[in-house]
Amino acid sequence: MTLVAGLRAASYGIPFQPVAGVHGSELARINNWQTMRDPYGSGRDVYVVPAVQPDIAVIHAAEVDAEGNARVYGSPFWDHPLTRAAKRVLLTAEKLVPTDRLREQPELTLVPGFMVEAIAITPGGAWPGSMHPYYDIDYPAVEHYMQDADGVLESHLAAAPEAVAVR
Amino acid sequence: MNWTPFSFIVINLARQIRAGEITFSGVNSTLPMLACLLAKRAYDFPFTYINVAGGVEPQPVSVPQSSSDPAIVHGSPAIFANQDFYDLCARGGLDLVYLGCAQIDAEGRTNVSAIGSWENPKVRLPGGGGAAVMLPTAKRVVTWRTDHTPRALVDKLDFVTASGNMTALVTPLAVFTREPRAGSRFILESYHPQTTIAYIQAHTGFTFDFTQAQVAAPITVRELDALNTLDAGGQFSAAVNH
Repeated sequence: MTLVAGLRAASYGIPFQPVAGVHGSELARINNWQTMRDPYGSGRDVYVVPAVQPDIAVIHAAEVDAEGNARVYGSPFWDHPLTRAAKRVLLTAEKLVPTDRLREQPELTLVPGFMVEAIAITPGGAWPGSMHPYYDIDYPAVEHYMQDADGVLESHLAAAPEAVAVR
Repeated sequence: MNWTPFSFIVINLARQIRAGEITFSGVNSTLPMLACLLAKRAYDFPFTYINVAGGVEPQPVSVPQSSSDPAIVHGSPAIFANQDFYDLCARGGLDLVYLGCAQIDAEGRTNVSAIGSWENPKVRLPGGGGAAVMLPTAKRVVTWRTDHTPRALVDKLDFVTASGNMTALVTPLAVFTREPRAGSRFILESYHPQTTIAYIQAHTGFTFDFTQAQVAAPITVRELDALNTLDAGGQFSAAVNH
């Protein structure tokens, strides 16, 4: 949540962002977060966290057109603040669709193409995570990946959709 | 109907929910997710359930292993994703939030950052995921442990990740409650019928008042039916009752 506040500062174009809570947390000490007295007289002290501006945001979308206009179905999680805070946005997507499809319901477009530097069509690209409504989390793959043993990373990468696709 | 560690935790987490509340469960929170879904089935009063996947009043066809699986959005008439529920909490609009802990002290402060010192930890933990903001801004916060040990229920935290409106701690043996105000300490509210207050004291790192403690109210038929339906495959109980 303090991270989101930092992303918001970046997307608003300001150096810091006030955030609720944090009082009584040692995270303030180790991160050197400061408080500010409300300049409008409420008497409240509010923590302010510095801007967090990613150099590049990479998000996986459901559908994208050739211009980079992209839809995400279901919950967008952090896609909105991340794409607005980052200096550059790269997109992967399940499907390439014609722009006319996006014109039918423009409110479903989460990222407009003018913000997007490059796209790649990568079906299954969220694996082993899920991509609504195409596929669910691959729990066995996650559990395999979590093992601390020789060869686990190699076999995980070999099972990834992009590795299977080029075979 | 005897309690198991699993049923004791889930049902006592569900019993924290009050009529009309807006309730939230987050990441790595399978047991609170089950508690909210159980309360929908076992209790007659209305409340609103929001989860970290952005689901509002979801109607999942099956319960996912992960409490942040988008499957827990299924059937929602609205999506209320991360920015929205954090902001709602920040402005005082979340009544009951479930937040996890690696360590907890008598005043309901939590550590989810590090075991040992922050600078030179024995174990680096995943971090708060918003706890430092949610614990002081939610009206009430409830936490849980699947073990009951003085390692987790401590007199002094290794690191204070979050501090604020903690009002209940549920373990396989006990339910502790406290008033959401500075300086208030946990008291033992109720406990598993097959344990004793002395046993709980011996396994708790902080001291607590137990003068009002009672044996936990028995499981109701509706609670048990709901729990059995949600855990039809047995995978959730197996993860706790080992």
